[in-house]
Amino acid sequence: MLDVSELVTTYGKIEALKGVSLHVAGGKITCLLGPNGAGKTTLMMTIAGILRPRRGSIKLEGAELVGLSPAKIVSRGIALVPENRLVFPEMSVRENLLAGAYQRRDKSEIAADMERMYARFPQLKERREQLAGTLSGGEQQMLAVARALMSRPRVLLMDEPSLGLAPLIVAEIFDIVAALNRDGTTMLLVEQNAHMALKVAHQFFLMEQGRVTFQGTPGQLAEDEVIQRAYLGTRRAG
Amino acid sequence: MIDFIQNTIDGVMIGSSYGLLALGFTVIFGVMRRLNLSYGPTVMIGAYFGTVLYLDFGAGLLAVAAAVVAGAVISGVYVERLCFAPMKAGAGIASMVSSFAIWMQLEQAAVLVLPRHTYPFPPLATGPALEIGPLLVRPDHLIMLGGALLLAAVVQLALYHTRFGLGLRAVIANPIAANLVGVDVGRLVMLAFAAASAIGGVAGFLVLAVDQQVTPMFGMWATLKGLIAMMIGGLGSIPGALLGGLLLGVVEVHSHWLFGPQVRDLFAYFVLFAFLVARPGGLLGRTADVELSHRV
Amino acid sequence: MDFYLGLAQVIGVHTLLGLSAYCVLLTGQVSLAQAAFFAVGAYVAAILTVIFKWHLFAALGVSAVVSGLTACAVGFPALRVKGLMLVVATLAFGEAVRLFFFNFTYQIQAGELKIGPHGAEGFRQIRYFPEHGWSTFDVLMFIWLMVAIVMACLWWLDQSRAGAVMRAVGEDEVAAHSSGINVTAVKVLAMTIGGVIAGIGGGIFAHYTTHIEHVQFGVILATFAIAYPILGGLSNVFGTLLAVIFIQGFLIEGLRFLGDWRNLLFGALIVLAMNLRPRGFLDAGGVASLKRMLFAGKESSGA
Repeated sequence: MLDVSELVTTYGKIEALKGVSLHVAGGKITCLLGPNGAGKTTLMMTIAGILRPRRGSIKLEGAELVGLSPAKIVSRGIALVPENRLVFPEMSVRENLLAGAYQRRDKSEIAADMERMYARFPQLKERREQLAGTLSGGEQQMLAVARALMSRPRVLLMDEPSLGLAPLIVAEIFDIVAALNRDGTTMLLVEQNAHMALKVAHQFFLMEQGRVTFQGTPGQLAEDEVIQRAYLGTRRAG
Repeated sequence: MIDFIQNTIDGVMIGSSYGLLALGFTVIFGVMRRLNLSYGPTVMIGAYFGTVLYLDFGAGLLAVAAAVVAGAVISGVYVERLCFAPMKAGAGIASMVSSFAIWMQLEQAAVLVLPRHTYPFPPLATGPALEIGPLLVRPDHLIMLGGALLLAAVVQLALYHTRFGLGLRAVIANPIAANLVGVDVGRLVMLAFAAASAIGGVAGFLVLAVDQQVTPMFGMWATLKGLIAMMIGGLGSIPGALLGGLLLGVVEVHSHWLFGPQVRDLFAYFVLFAFLVARPGGLLGRTADVELSHRV
Repeated sequence: MDFYLGLAQVIGVHTLLGLSAYCVLLTGQVSLAQAAFFAVGAYVAAILTVIFKWHLFAALGVSAVVSGLTACAVGFPALRVKGLMLVVATLAFGEAVRLFFFNFTYQIQAGELKIGPHGAEGFRQIRYFPEHGWSTFDVLMFIWLMVAIVMACLWWLDQSRAGAVMRAVGEDEVAAHSSGINVTAVKVLAMTIGGVIAGIGGGIFAHYTTHIEHVQFGVILATFAIAYPILGGLSNVFGTLLAVIFIQGFLIEGLRFLGDWRNLLFGALIVLAMNLRPRGFLDAGGVASLKRMLFAGKESSGA
């Protein structure tokens, strides 16, 4: 579905991505693990078009995305739920969802999708006229996911959805991730919480220092001793 | 007492022109978080477009108004492309210095086109002042006040009830997040600049049609009055911009009455300085988180 | 020749003005009040030499102190506001000072003439230099001596711990505060030093132009004051000097042959410079590569 190959992204002279290749299979949850500073967020931002890569390609069902503006990439079917959520704090929940559908012009369909989001996230429905900045962290995360879904993405990218949330809320977020996937959403998930990721993801990639250093299924991941120790055994990330 | 009321009314009328100028300023500032010193001069360029049309072709009032707005929009977009679009995050002060340089450029361009110090501008409404009991109100002042209220309402509605406004508020909140939901930030910022310049153009037209003359000093005047009114009202608030303008007008007229014309501006600036220091958020705004940092 | 001497005087005085903004900018404050401090210096020094017949040096000393105190007085309330708020607050203060001089009349009878500042007409006949037999060249030497002293002091300040503290405040006020720096003191001190430098510059300015009036000290001069260090870069004092030479020497005087068209190019070139070097001519990277070039030359000749 989404193919990234030999992607190089730099900040000035520093190479944050040193030729990253990965494949996201349609209908599956692909999880990207790795320590802080490995380049995971850089990869997500590059796919979303916020950062421009030096080299390499990003193809969505064969169509090149590199060089397109972030807005174009959204309309092609990629939506990123960014790290730290970045909801629009001074807008109501409803307006945040409307902003998520900014690229779409089909008014009645947008309204229908909005109702679907409220059905999926009842807390958001209760608070539809509340300013997003006044929501709790977990609610903001749900809003960020719902906002991304409003663009009807073919691939949903999520950058550390569990960051800074209480364990109970994290479990809730992962239930949502699993449920979305059951309904057919393709996902690329960046996560440091490998335990939670193991429960939902179908395919894993491990990134370290700007490179992919491991790829495999949850079974292979659980068997790998090094990864065991670094990401599962001690529960320390990075 | 009658004098006091008359002065307050006059202040509100004059203040509506400051409020109008502050509206455009607020839109630019809200989106960019940067100071555009060229704002007034772009309005002045528009005014010169209109004046040329009026002097050389005898254009009517509406045509002149359209020319003022068009000229302001063209030069506003010119400023945005040169001073704001290319400056990356963290270079807010580079934008400010550039906009200052463009100010000098625009002023010079205006003088090259029309070299005399003042030129006539078509009047908005002639006729005697309206008498309301013992009070007097100029009809063109009323039109200006009405224009200010109307324009503020239009901007407020556009900001909160249109797709363009939604995108703009998204950019104001967080440009990266706005990008991620599919807002074309660069394009939207340019459009916002054009819209702000159009508002400035309307403001400039009304002010000049009341004054019935235009000078190259109008640019600096418009920047200063608009900026001050915006700061008093509170950054990023549309009703605040209008209110700030009206308040500035009232303060000016009263101090003119009490201390004479020479001290009027002096007093206005002291009030502004005291006001900013005492209440940095303005009347209706929050404290500004402005991007003017200049890391070494 | 006189033309070049005059130009060199202008560059010297504007360098002082730019340096006064430079040291305020180091602490992250963008102030449009520098022209007002400059005006205070100009009027105070001129009044002392013309009306009270003081020696120039004493008058400059007092004008530096008065400007410094004015700046210090502005510095305290200005601490409450940041960023654009500070820009506008200092602009309001600057305009208020300008309008004060617009209304300021203080004249005494000297023979047939009345001398001293006279409101909107300004302050004419500041004839200290010709009366005391200073040639244009003497004046020029004196100006550049002052520039050299101020630059040396600021350079020394920059290299010392005080400079590092000022830059730390400019970089990140919160971090500076939490690492034990008294941010208030640093910012007010920078403002005061800026005021002192502007006061000296203004005092000299009044004496070589012989005629000052309020319009000279408006928003335009204030913006020039911060444009110099921003265009030159904040990595060291030479950037400001370079920018003054670029603006006053090249853009204003060098392009004078363009006549009315000069300002069109003037604007375009400053915008171009800001686009190419948004951190100024001499930013940290530029200085490093300049040093590399110089030292690489030495090393290769040594090897």
